[in-house]
Amino acid sequence: MARQVKLQAEQLRVLRGGREVLSGVSFEVAGGEVYGLLGGNGAGKSTTLSTFLGFLPASGGRVIVNTRDVGSDVAAARRAMAYLPEAASMYEHLDARENLHYFLQLVGVGRGESEIDAALDRVSLAGEARGIKLRGYSKGMRQKVAIALAILRDTDILLLDEPTSGLDPTAIDEFHDLVRGLADAGKAILMVTHDVYGACQVADRIGLLRGGKLVDQFAAPAGGRIETETVHRAFSAKTNP
Amino acid sequence: MSGLSSSANLWSAIRREAAFLARDRSVLAWWLVVLCLSVLAVSAGLSEVQQQNATIARLLEADAADRSAVLKTQSDWGGTAYSSFHLTYDAPSNFAFAALGRRDDTPWKHRVRMLALEGQIHERDAGHPVLALVGRFDFAFLAAFILPLVLIVLLHDIRARERVAGRYDLLVATAGRADRLWQMRAALRTGGVFICAAIPLLVAGVMANAAAATLLAATGLLLVYLLAWTILCARLAASQRSGELILAALMTIWIFVSVIIPAAGRIAIDRAVPVPSGADIILTQREAVNDAWDLPKEVTMAAFVERYPQWEAHTKVERPFAWKWYFAFQQVGDQKAQALSDAYYAGRQKRDRLAGRLAVIAPPVLLERSLQMLAGTDLRASLAYEARVRAFHASLREFYYPKLFLDEPFERAALDSMPQFGSQPPK
Repeated sequence: MARQVKLQAEQLRVLRGGREVLSGVSFEVAGGEVYGLLGGNGAGKSTTLSTFLGFLPASGGRVIVNTRDVGSDVAAARRAMAYLPEAASMYEHLDARENLHYFLQLVGVGRGESEIDAALDRVSLAGEARGIKLRGYSKGMRQKVAIALAILRDTDILLLDEPTSGLDPTAIDEFHDLVRGLADAGKAILMVTHDVYGACQVADRIGLLRGGKLVDQFAAPAGGRIETETVHRAFSAKTNP
Repeated sequence: MSGLSSSANLWSAIRREAAFLARDRSVLAWWLVVLCLSVLAVSAGLSEVQQQNATIARLLEADAADRSAVLKTQSDWGGTAYSSFHLTYDAPSNFAFAALGRRDDTPWKHRVRMLALEGQIHERDAGHPVLALVGRFDFAFLAAFILPLVLIVLLHDIRARERVAGRYDLLVATAGRADRLWQMRAALRTGGVFICAAIPLLVAGVMANAAAATLLAATGLLLVYLLAWTILCARLAASQRSGELILAALMTIWIFVSVIIPAAGRIAIDRAVPVPSGADIILTQREAVNDAWDLPKEVTMAAFVERYPQWEAHTKVERPFAWKWYFAFQQVGDQKAQALSDAYYAGRQKRDRLAGRLAVIAPPVLLERSLQMLAGTDLRASLAYEARVRAFHASLREFYYPKLFLDEPFERAALDSMPQFGSQPPK
């Protein structure tokens, strides 16, 4: 049975300050799939994510979330997605649980203490750290709290912007397992990254962006992973012509 | 059902943001500052009003005792009119503590007698030098000039600080409709400022027996004023600029509407509407009175009967000195200064009218003037008091002139019908 498409970019074009930063980008992400959007600095990865979130309007083409054009109802699109920004920051004067409570209330999701603790367990945030204000957290610990928020929101779609940038190698592995588990549970995950190895570890498909254009796509063979070397070669060639 | 659901959502959002705000020490600190300043402002106002009321009570007692002592020694109407002083006063209203307004720069008490009025009515106590320097710190000043600064501090970076902290995108993506989040945060911050400012005002109002309608109007004005500043701050805070730039823009607006427009407006109004000074009026009147000693008595009496033709048949003065001639030249002194006095009165009114129009583009001035109007401490109240003093002085003349011009015998019993100054306008 074909999986339902949750995210779709159709001939997406974005102009910023008169300059075309995305040009005819088309891809889709279905439920149960991790799509890695790979590219160097300025390739247009974050811009793509911003159009899905409604932060930037599409100058041409469409971005579709759950079959609806983002432009027609940004709030509904945002409700359908959990977003994990790069170097996610939350409130320094609150601890992890208080932050999660606040952000969940913001989206109108009620979660009990046990559910919050379970989510923090899944991201391996040490129990003794949970009562400490975030100002005492490392970058990786903050990232874990933001990941826990994405888990707790329990949306069908996750948008991840350089999600492993602040994590140590062990945490990165744990994070990849977590992402894989969420995809296996039916979530559609769009992960923007410049980490070729990480993307190949976790993505079912990878799109390579360069100069605002989607120049290549790779798909994992059934039951296997995308070959890192192939993608790396393409990435290096495309980013360093 | 959707109405119920949306009001439940609104209530839930208010509780969420209120709980969040309760953990923000910087906001709590600013609210505390506002509360302390408001307590200070109304306390200072109450103290000043109490002092003015005590002064009036003390002077009333002294005035009665002094006049009683003086009257005991008198044996003719002229000496009685010359020696009897009368206290006139404008008691502060029950809401004057909030906006002392013109009571700081216009007289609210006089000691007048039957002599020329223009030489008495423009006299006032020397102002406090500190007040001349910085003005009065009352609730009106706090509300009009200080509270907007607090709002600017609290609201200018309501979005920018989230961008700097790297939370903005997560907040917006999570909130869905983020505009509501910013509006709620701004409204709660402003709500806290309003409550902290209004509570001391209301408590002081109850203590001072201010009318409920006045207190309601004052708090309503305060709320509208703070909301206007909140909308302005929120509009500018919505821009993508840095917090520092937004702060600078808001401060520029504050300086413009609080300092530059009022100061430039005052200069322009003063130039456009020249007004003679009170000193010129006093000088004109006193010179006329001094000159009268050397003028033929007929000249003075002729000028006097122009105003009081009913005494024309009784103006003959055969002795070197007669009280009726003395008080006639006092009257003529007033008549000589009348053109200046009228110009002074009309000029102040016109300046005030123009200042009222200017206030439309300087909201702090508009609020201050509105509170002064509610408190009865504006120019209109000051001129109304001046009119009451003039009416009282006229009633003294009406009382004494028949006795002086008809040469009535002195009777102590007639002193009981001597006019008494009332703080309310004569009917």
